[in-house]
Amino acid sequence: MNVTEIYSSLPGEDGPVLKFFIVVLTIMGAVFVSKIVTIYLRRTFKEKMNKDHLEIILKLTSYSIIIVAIVFFVLPALNVEPSSILVAGSVVGFIVGFASQNIVGNMVSGLFLMTERPIKVGNIVNIDGNSGTVEDITLISTIIMTYDGLYVRIPNQTVFTTTITNYVANVARRFEYVVGIRYSDDADRAIEIIKNIIEQHPFTLKNPSPGVFVDNLGDNAVNIIVRIWAPSTDWYNVKTELLWTMKKNLEENDIEIPFPQRTLWFASELQSMQKDEIKQIPSDNG
Amino acid sequence: MNIMFGSYDIPLNIENGRFSISIEKAGKLYRYKREAFYGTEEKVLLFDNAKITLNPIEPVNKPKDITSYLLIEFEHPFVVGPGTSKPVYVKFPIEIGVFISNYKKFEILDVLTLVKQKFTLYGDPARGMICKYWESEVYPDIPEADPMMEGIMEIKIENMTSRWIELTKAVFNAYDMRIYYNQDMVSMRSRMKIIGEQTAETIFYKSPLRNNMKKSIERYIAGKVSVMGPKFVMEGGL
Repeated sequence: MNVTEIYSSLPGEDGPVLKFFIVVLTIMGAVFVSKIVTIYLRRTFKEKMNKDHLEIILKLTSYSIIIVAIVFFVLPALNVEPSSILVAGSVVGFIVGFASQNIVGNMVSGLFLMTERPIKVGNIVNIDGNSGTVEDITLISTIIMTYDGLYVRIPNQTVFTTTITNYVANVARRFEYVVGIRYSDDADRAIEIIKNIIEQHPFTLKNPSPGVFVDNLGDNAVNIIVRIWAPSTDWYNVKTELLWTMKKNLEENDIEIPFPQRTLWFASELQSMQKDEIKQIPSDNG
Repeated sequence: MNIMFGSYDIPLNIENGRFSISIEKAGKLYRYKREAFYGTEEKVLLFDNAKITLNPIEPVNKPKDITSYLLIEFEHPFVVGPGTSKPVYVKFPIEIGVFISNYKKFEILDVLTLVKQKFTLYGDPARGMICKYWESEVYPDIPEADPMMEGIMEIKIENMTSRWIELTKAVFNAYDMRIYYNQDMVSMRSRMKIIGEQTAETIFYKSPLRNNMKKSIERYIAGKVSVMGPKFVMEGGL
């Protein structure tokens, strides 16, 4: 006995109210089953699979259960034949597509995002000026948690058409400091100290090797450029740690980072006076 | 008590010149404490009956678990003739796993190390991988090493090509490592099969370097981390 026969055997199966309840209950049941299956799969594979792959599998499973329920239970309950779906589908598709082109556009963009995968769940990205961690990529939208902990939902069409900066797509990245020292300081010694600090830090990569060199002779300082490669996952911590360590170590070795200063030359020689001499100058009031 | 590999009853107090670990009873609980040059760690333990096991583990956990690959750079490049198949020996860094066990169920409690930590990039930033870095001389025979700091890895170099190949490094997948130890030595045995001018395969043997060695509890088997493919193909240069 197939599904259609089961439905036709129900009393009052032609009644629109019963059909409505069957459709609603079937869809609710499918959503419920898909949730249960998703939870079970998530618990089972959470520690055994890449989080990003797992999310895609869970979404596919969830959508598949709902589609199967609609095709095999809801449509027979409504006495809709598959062949008539094709005819009706083209007309309805045109109307629905026209009315909901933004949603369809987002869904298509979502499918392309899942296929092309410029971003993955957990990546640190900047999309359309929103920087943060990708929390979820659904068919319609991409969810980002900003560094401030804010929830940002970006429609997939925007994600797909805007510039995406993925900070962790590559396994390593480079950052840079400019360290200024006094003209009277030994730049070679400063470079040696900086190189030693970089070498001691575990997350500054051995290869590509760091670059430390005098870049330019500035207005107030000899500027040393420091270029360091670090794992993409840890570069920001390394960057914030190392700068202060360099400053402290340079100062411990009598190498100072100078304040901006300007030397003024006067056309005529300036006369200088001691404090007590100033006191002896009579004021205009006597 | 000086630190040695093996099993210990609880409570315990083990000291080395550079770190100490202790588990003391604190009422109905136990308190684990580790003091080392890289920091202090404290944990509260709750159990009925347990033992502590200290053994060398895959050296990719400290200071942070960000990669499962170990890159050993050779202090001097060495050139391998076509068709050559000979073993050489290198040193690798030691990390000591502190496992707590109960009815053969092991769980990692802490990881200790006495050696300097460094990471490197193998390949390019887009397609390469972050690896734990270690530099070693290449030895023709088994060298002396402090088992608390360095282990000995035998690498059977097999040059399958018809050219002379210069080797500067070897990359290994920690998921495949088979570590064996006794109180004098920590060892692994591997094979590096050179299959092209810039390509080689590395894989580990399931046998110790000497007969009287015990197999380590490997972290990724004792823990809950998934197992990846065993062999590693070096495609980013030799």
